[in-house]
Amino acid sequence: MIAARMAYGNLFLHKAKSIILGTIMCLGIAVLFVGNSLIDTAVNGLHKMFVEGYTGDVMVTGPTSYTTTIFGETAGGEDVIPHIAQYSKYEEYLAKDPRVKATMPMLSGKVAMGIGEQVIGSGSAFGVDSESYQNFFSGNVTLVNGEWPVKADPAWIMLSETSTAMLSRSAGKTLAPGDKIVLSALNDTAGTVIREVTIKGIIRFNQSNQDLARISLVDADTLRDLLGFASLRDGPIELTPEQAQFVSSFNPDALFMDSFTVASGNTANAAPTSETAQTMASSAATTTAATVQPAWQFLLIKLQPNANAEQFQSDLTKFAASLDENDHVQDWVAGAGSVARGALTMRLIFNLMIIVVGVIVVLITMNVLVVSISERVPEIGTLRALGAKKKFVRKMIILETTFLAIISGVVGLILGYVILILLKNSGITAPNVFFEAIFAGKKLVPTISAIAGLEAFLSIFAMSIIASLYPITLALRIKPVVAMQGE
Amino acid sequence: MDIQNQYVVQLENVQKNYQLGKTEVQALKNVSFEIVKGDFITIAGPSGSGKTTVLNLIGCVDTATSGIVRVLGQRTDQLDDEKLTALRHRGIGFIFQTFNLIPVLNIRENVELPALLDESDTTMSKAEREEWVDHLIEAVGLEDRMKHKPAELSGGQRQRVAIARALVMRPPIVLADEPTANLDSATGESILNLMKRMNREYGTTFIFSTHDPGIVEMADHVIRLKDGAVIENRRRVVEDAVSADGLPLSGQVKAVEEKTIEAKVHV
Repeated sequence: MIAARMAYGNLFLHKAKSIILGTIMCLGIAVLFVGNSLIDTAVNGLHKMFVEGYTGDVMVTGPTSYTTTIFGETAGGEDVIPHIAQYSKYEEYLAKDPRVKATMPMLSGKVAMGIGEQVIGSGSAFGVDSESYQNFFSGNVTLVNGEWPVKADPAWIMLSETSTAMLSRSAGKTLAPGDKIVLSALNDTAGTVIREVTIKGIIRFNQSNQDLARISLVDADTLRDLLGFASLRDGPIELTPEQAQFVSSFNPDALFMDSFTVASGNTANAAPTSETAQTMASSAATTTAATVQPAWQFLLIKLQPNANAEQFQSDLTKFAASLDENDHVQDWVAGAGSVARGALTMRLIFNLMIIVVGVIVVLITMNVLVVSISERVPEIGTLRALGAKKKFVRKMIILETTFLAIISGVVGLILGYVILILLKNSGITAPNVFFEAIFAGKKLVPTISAIAGLEAFLSIFAMSIIASLYPITLALRIKPVVAMQGE
Repeated sequence: MDIQNQYVVQLENVQKNYQLGKTEVQALKNVSFEIVKGDFITIAGPSGSGKTTVLNLIGCVDTATSGIVRVLGQRTDQLDDEKLTALRHRGIGFIFQTFNLIPVLNIRENVELPALLDESDTTMSKAEREEWVDHLIEAVGLEDRMKHKPAELSGGQRQRVAIARALVMRPPIVLADEPTANLDSATGESILNLMKRMNREYGTTFIFSTHDPGIVEMADHVIRLKDGAVIENRRRVVEDAVSADGLPLSGQVKAVEEKTIEAKVHV
């Protein structure tokens, strides 16, 4: 108790030292508290945004060289993500796992959009089953205009509000449900593929940024055609009467009449005749899902709230390896791509900054404490002469640092809290996509968590204790004989 | 009683050298003397004679270069830091020239401080300790200053606090390094009288250094140093006056006999 009494008293006796150290600790704790809260805001916001709105907790993707984002970008540089060859086996496996809350298959790719021959824009398109998508991401998507597609609907697209506005600007007219637009994409299998779709509705993504707000939902088979998975459709190719008439009257020979001379009777190498084309069309029209496993590039998985995502991912990775298809099992961060990585990199940079700030705090604190100890040599010598053991001196200095850290910590936490409240109330708007990622939305709404405050306090407290170690060794070297040498 | 058991301090051929840069300074030269329990003894001599060095060795805050220092029967050169600390704590009270009170503690806390340094020490209960502290503060005449901080006291009052603090552990020995050096002569004399009263009341051995000849005369036992050597070791045997039934009459001196103890003088 007497050590605590002396430590407390020394804080007020050596005011200059206490004020310098207290200010450093107070600012350090405030900065860490605010920084931790902002980083937590970004990471938690991104986590919530992507897991609940775009990726799910864990996702399976086809066998690309490296990881794949939900936007169809691959670290391996593939133009089109391969489909999951043994998709049904995953569904069977996941159906038995109690940790799984829901699953949803998906396709993703970049498409150009146009009206007639006029290109009016481009963007990411997700190929989905309308009903599955609504169930899986029910909290993230709102129907603004039109209606949700149903199973029997012909090729459709659900445009986001943002995309609709942009495309309307380019088209020179306001696009609305019922309008038709043309989608086109280039793939290695079929070259350029063009499909006409009907705008079924306008939607809004409740949690998004400038990039995410431009995603369109397209019926899965249309996107399969565009990405080169036409042979792995879920349903037959449905031709309009005009298209059927065109295909039936199509004579491929006519395309090459001027360039080639076709040897009569050599049917093996001849180009298809109009009869052959008719047969192909007929064949395609009668192809059904009963014989073909439809292609899906992604299988998104939402987990039960208490499930351990890392453990689940690990288990699913083992299962994927057993299928020998080189599929990827990845978390939401890989799925979110550069947006999430940006935020996590910011967190890493912030952590590095904490280390740098920590080293500076430790050095300044250590220096001030060394000066303080050197000023108190007679006092410490007197204590030693009167019979204080080394551990008493050690305890007294640690208590001094502790009291200072507690007092500064409370002030620092209050200061940090006030700054966070001011930031929250100021409603700072993200000026660009980068800041949208950092803010985890269009506006900065920092989450104020007790854990962030506690982390900040403990960090500075630990740094203070580390900083006091060297001064303590100096204090312990003070011999009692100095007490006899006068004050 | 075995005279050896009455010695609270014994120095045998003690030498102490200090290194000052490249020069080695001999602070004590084969110093030998004994101090008997209950002595009121001064280590006298001019500045640089080695008085403080002797006190440092007796106070276990420094060690001899050679020779033997025995304090309360223990050879200090054979004790580690922990044991020396314990010996100082339990066996020696300190009164410093510059008072060395702890500025953040009030007078009562300063006096009580040595008793609180070792929480494992259960020699005195809390109630006993508090009663003893109150008694000491009263004995030094500062009962109305208990809650004051050292900075609020005069030099004489601070030294009284230091005396009370030195006695709080009921040590057999109290060391005082020039206790009157920073005080005016009247205050210095009152401090010495207080120390002498404590010496008589509690039987505590008081060892103090001084270069003031007037103060030297107040001591019962004088060890005079010059250039690191003992040049005089003189004890004044005081025979207390006794009543008709043979009981000592406190404060009344019947006879005083000056006795010079053989001093080992090395020059």
